[in-house]
Amino acid sequence: MHSSDEKLEVALEMSGVNPAEEDLEKILDGFTRGLELAAQLYTVPGVRYEEPALIFSARVAGAR
Amino acid sequence: MEYLTIADALEALRENKTTATELLQSAHAVADELDSELGIYLSRFDEQAMAAAAEADRIYAAGEPAGPLLGIPLGIKDIISTVEGETTAQSLVLDRAWGEGIGDAVVTARLRAAGGLITGKLTTMEYATGVPDPTKPFPVPRNPWNTEYWTGGSSSGTGNGVATGAVLGGLGTDTGGSIRIPAAFCGISGIKATFGRVPKSGCVPLGYSLDNIGPMARSARDCAIMLNVLAGYDASDACAVDEPVDDYVAGLSGDLSGTRIGLDRLTGAWSERDPAIDAALDAVVEALTGLGATVVDVSLPLWSELSAATRITSRSEAFAYHAPDLQSRWSDYFAATRQGVGTAVAYSGADYVQAQRVRRVGQKAVAGLFETVDLVITPTSSVAGWTIDSLSTMAERFGAMHTGYWNAVGNPALVVPMGFNEIGLPLSVQIVGKPFDEVAVLRAGDAYQRVTDWHLAVPPVLSAAAVA
Repeated sequence: MHSSDEKLEVALEMSGVNPAEEDLEKILDGFTRGLELAAQLYTVPGVRYEEPALIFSARVAGAR
Repeated sequence: MEYLTIADALEALRENKTTATELLQSAHAVADELDSELGIYLSRFDEQAMAAAAEADRIYAAGEPAGPLLGIPLGIKDIISTVEGETTAQSLVLDRAWGEGIGDAVVTARLRAAGGLITGKLTTMEYATGVPDPTKPFPVPRNPWNTEYWTGGSSSGTGNGVATGAVLGGLGTDTGGSIRIPAAFCGISGIKATFGRVPKSGCVPLGYSLDNIGPMARSARDCAIMLNVLAGYDASDACAVDEPVDDYVAGLSGDLSGTRIGLDRLTGAWSERDPAIDAALDAVVEALTGLGATVVDVSLPLWSELSAATRITSRSEAFAYHAPDLQSRWSDYFAATRQGVGTAVAYSGADYVQAQRVRRVGQKAVAGLFETVDLVITPTSSVAGWTIDSLSTMAERFGAMHTGYWNAVGNPALVVPMGFNEIGLPLSVQIVGKPFDEVAVLRAGDAYQRVTDWHLAVPPVLSAAAVA
C-alpha cells in the first residue's frame, strides 16, 4: 500500500502540475479527504446499475 | 441614504416619487463611501449607467412602456460578461480577451433589455471558488454587519453591495452555494433556480454541470422580479432547459394554506453550530405555520453522499478548465484556488462518472421525499460566518454550508434572512422546492417576509456612513 503523499506525488506528476512547496500540505489534506469522498461514492445503495447524469446532444449548442 | 427594495423603487419610479437618476446617484454615494472598506466593486460603469438612467427617466416621463426593471441599479458578478468593461474573474490568470469576444452574456442582455442600469462588475472569489488572497492585487470583500468578517463567497460583491444599497440587486453564480452563502452571511435574499432555468453562456465556468446564475436582492419578491427577466431558454447554453417559464411575481400570493413543508435541521451535518440557529428555525416554523403551512420533520436522503458528489464533480470540472494554467502559472492563482482545484488530482475519470451516477440515485431519492412535502427548509449554514483572518481554504469550511447538496440534484433553492446571532451576524434559512417549482419557493419566502422584517434590517456600517 502506498501512503497518501506517495499517491499524491504520482497524481501530480501525471497531471503535469507542479505545486509550490508551500501549498503541498494543504493539497495533501484535500487529496486525502478526496480519496475518502471518492470511495464513499461506490457504497451508495442502488448506484451499481444506475445511469450517470451525463447527457450528450448531437446538436451543437446555438446551432439550428 | 436611499435604501429601497427593488419593488419599492419601481413603485416610487412609477408614481414619480423618485427618478432613476436619483436612485443611481444614491447607489453611487453608498459605493463612494463604503467601497474602499468593503470591497464591493472591481470596476464601475458610472458614465454608461448615468446615461441609461437618463433614458429611463425620459421613458417614465413620456409614459412609454417601461421594462420590468427600468431604472433599477444592478451589479454584475465579475465572472459574467458585459459590453462595458473587461471580465477578470478577479484573477491574474483569465485572458481578458475572453470577455471582449462575448460582449453581454445572455443574462446581462436580459437585465439591460428590461431597463436595468448596469452599474459595474462586483467582486468575487477568484474564478468563483476559494477565499480571499490578500497577496493578490484585488479587494478583500468584507461583511457590512461586521467588517472583521468575510462576506461569504463567491458572489461576495453582490452580497455586500445589495446589503448596503450600493446596488439594489445583482447577479451571483452558484456551483455549490455561491449565491446562497454570501446572501446568508450578508443578510439578504438569493435564489439558485432549477439547473438549466437561467442560461449561463457568457459566464466563466467553474463546474459545468453545477453552475447557475441567479438573482441576489433584499427580498424574495425582488428575486422574483429579477428571475422573471432572467429565466428562460437560450440555445447558446447546452444546459439550458426549454420549458415554459412561470410568472414568479404573480405567484406571490402571501398564502401558504395547504403547503406541506419538511424541516431538516441538519444538526449532525457539521461539528460547529451557532447556538442561535435552532431558536431562529423555531420562529421560522411558527411563522410558516401561521401562514397556513404544515411543517413536519424530515431527513434529507444521502446527505453526505450527494455533498461528496457535488465536490468531486465541481473539482473535476474545474480542473479540466484550469489544468493548462495550473501547469504554467501556478503562483498567479490565489492560494485557495490553486490548492482547492489542485486536489482534483485525487479523482479518476471513473470517480467522476460515479459521482454522476450518485446524482441520479440522489435525484430519485429526493423526488421521493417531495412526494410527501411541497417544500423543504434547512438552515443555509451551520455558522453565521468566519473572520477574514481565520480563513484558510474552502475545503475546511465546506461542510458548514448546507448548499452543495442541492446543486447535485438541481432543485431550486432560495435563502432568506431569519434573524441574527449573538454578535449581530445574520442567520439564514434555505427554502427548497421541486424542480421548476420556483413559484412555490418564492411564494414561501415572500410570505415569510410579509410577517417578518429581518430582510429590511440595515447593517451598522451603513448607519455609520449615513451619520458621518
